Amino acid sequence: MYHNSSQKREWTFSSEVVLEQKRREANEKVCSRLMASGKPGASEAALLDPREEMVLFRHYEKRLVDFCSVFKPVMPKAVMGTAIMYFRRFYLNNSLMEYHPRIIMLTCAYLSCKVDEFNVSSSQFVGNLQESLAGQEKVLEHILGYELLLIQQLNFHLVVHNPYRPMEGFLIDLKTRYPLLENPEMLRKSADDFLNRAAMTDAGLLFSPSQIALTAVLNSASRAGLNMDSYMMDCLGLKEDKEMLSKLMETMRRVKHLTKKYELPKPEEVSICKQKLERIHGEFPTNTNLKRKRGHEDEELVVKRPLVAEEEFWTDEDLEPL
Amino acid sequence: MDQYSLLGRIGEGAHGIVFKAKHIETGETVALKKVALRKLEDGIPNQALREIKALQEIEDNQYVVKLKDVFPHGTGFVLVFEYMLSDLSEVIRNSQRPLTEAQVKGYMMMLLKGVAFCHENSIMHRDLKPANLLISSSGHLKIADFGLARLFSNEGERLYSHQVATRWYRAPELLYGARKYDEGVDLWAVGCIFGELLNNSPLFPGENDIEQLCCVLRVLGTPNERIWPEIAELPDYNKITFKDNPPIPLEEIVPDTSAQAVDLLKRFLVYPSKHRISARQALLHPYFFTDPLPAHHSELPIPHRSGKHCRQRLQPPCEFSVDKPLQESLVDPALIQPHAWGCELK
Repeated sequence: MYHNSSQKREWTFSSEVVLEQKRREANEKVCSRLMASGKPGASEAALLDPREEMVLFRHYEKRLVDFCSVFKPVMPKAVMGTAIMYFRRFYLNNSLMEYHPRIIMLTCAYLSCKVDEFNVSSSQFVGNLQESLAGQEKVLEHILGYELLLIQQLNFHLVVHNPYRPMEGFLIDLKTRYPLLENPEMLRKSADDFLNRAAMTDAGLLFSPSQIALTAVLNSASRAGLNMDSYMMDCLGLKEDKEMLSKLMETMRRVKHLTKKYELPKPEEVSICKQKLERIHGEFPTNTNLKRKRGHEDEELVVKRPLVAEEEFWTDEDLEPL
Repeated sequence: MDQYSLLGRIGEGAHGIVFKAKHIETGETVALKKVALRKLEDGIPNQALREIKALQEIEDNQYVVKLKDVFPHGTGFVLVFEYMLSDLSEVIRNSQRPLTEAQVKGYMMMLLKGVAFCHENSIMHRDLKPANLLISSSGHLKIADFGLARLFSNEGERLYSHQVATRWYRAPELLYGARKYDEGVDLWAVGCIFGELLNNSPLFPGENDIEQLCCVLRVLGTPNERIWPEIAELPDYNKITFKDNPPIPLEEIVPDTSAQAVDLLKRFLVYPSKHRISARQALLHPYFFTDPLPAHHSELPIPHRSGKHCRQRLQPPCEFSVDKPLQESLVDPALIQPHAWGCELK
């Protein structure tokens, strides 16, 4: 249920200003760290600013969408929606300069398949990449190396509520309780398109899935020249609650605005930013292999420490009755 | 990890290692469950993801063990749970005399409230058994182990004793190899646990999967398509046939039990999953509203983890027995005098 979800509690924000602030902070943190390294590549001009990060974020997000849409076997929409949301949540608190979006985007898709019980094996998953077998294996190793980092950055909140189910709900509701509309199914195509666009905006970080879904349905109706006011007033019971009505109208206006103003970054802009990104990652690598190794060492330590602690514990305990 | 100081090992086996630890900042005692990720070709196992998913999204409930925190550690991560003193299997094992009817009712009520809560939140536990029902120091029962128990049993051929235990609570549709099932599997397990509380011994202690089925069939009678229409669709139904066997009345299986207890038990232990009484409905059964009423949690036995050390300490120096002369049970006052500081012996 959405109303007691971690999504509502932890991942729904009051305004776009808050989101911008978070992204700026993530950017600044990495910039100041890289500049402090004193390397020649760490000048202000060589690093990405928040706007450039956004350009690249959009570019890789679109690639994630493309990867998911041609995925074999066909990937359910909710799995794709969850993957995109993971990607958005991850880069809310992290910079692209620190973690390369190419691998994070695949890790998001991989994790969302597992969480949403879309069962594909790891080899099946990387089989969807245009890579040689050896290349696929290498990518898989990277994905598995980043998986833990990803769920940590998601704060272990894995369940994402997408607007696809509420949209089905609204269509069913229209069919059963709103005879004025002859063929609610005709709204589906354009409502679907709306949701696909909305998924690539901050809407999911600002509004509830049902608000986004309702906007999609009503938007589709208004494009078809249909008036749905009586559905809102009578079926959704908003006639009596003017305050709620005006709030909902304002929310839907904002969702629509976000979706409308979405545009893909220009290719030439992308290529300039990409060059910068590759240079930064070349100069300041975050080597996952190294990380994993370190992890192993940590683990050895952990295994040893509790054993010692345990021995002490039981010795004390045994002595106590005497 | 620096936030916790380890106090000892609580248990291991099918669940991996669970440590008792103290949260340094708050002084709170917790249980740390480590999920290691070494040598797993598919990365973080689904079962671990499921447990996190289930426990992160449900509201706090008194009868479900609380996941307080998750944090990455080394190549894996650690789940932090509230610390629980014991579990129901230890209660059953350690109780000197059978539980009273009021106590059984008390446990059943808490179990059903927890199960009802899970089912209302669309969570099937799938592995309910006394060892997964933890008991707090205040006598509360809480459901634990949401899917993680399977995580470690999947690797290799090794059979854990816990796996055996789990079989006893497995619903008949699962024994017939069902791939699709519903929350009815939990309600079957609740029935088995109920019977075990009443009898102080497991209801269907099968030694292997086939024998498990025999145990169930011996009591409920051989199923057929008339009493259980879905059975024909179960994968293993045609692989094995049993001699036609009439059911044994449950009154004989759980003797010395009130008629209402038997009636409720009957509603859990039925073949078609859909006909099993829901947890919410079971809570309204007359069983819980007739004398003796369910025991308050403070009236329930509180066993101790790794009982050996603790029980020795808690035993009184002498036990009184009606069969022995009184003199033998009395303590020589001279023996305790050195300890009786501040008391005047007149």
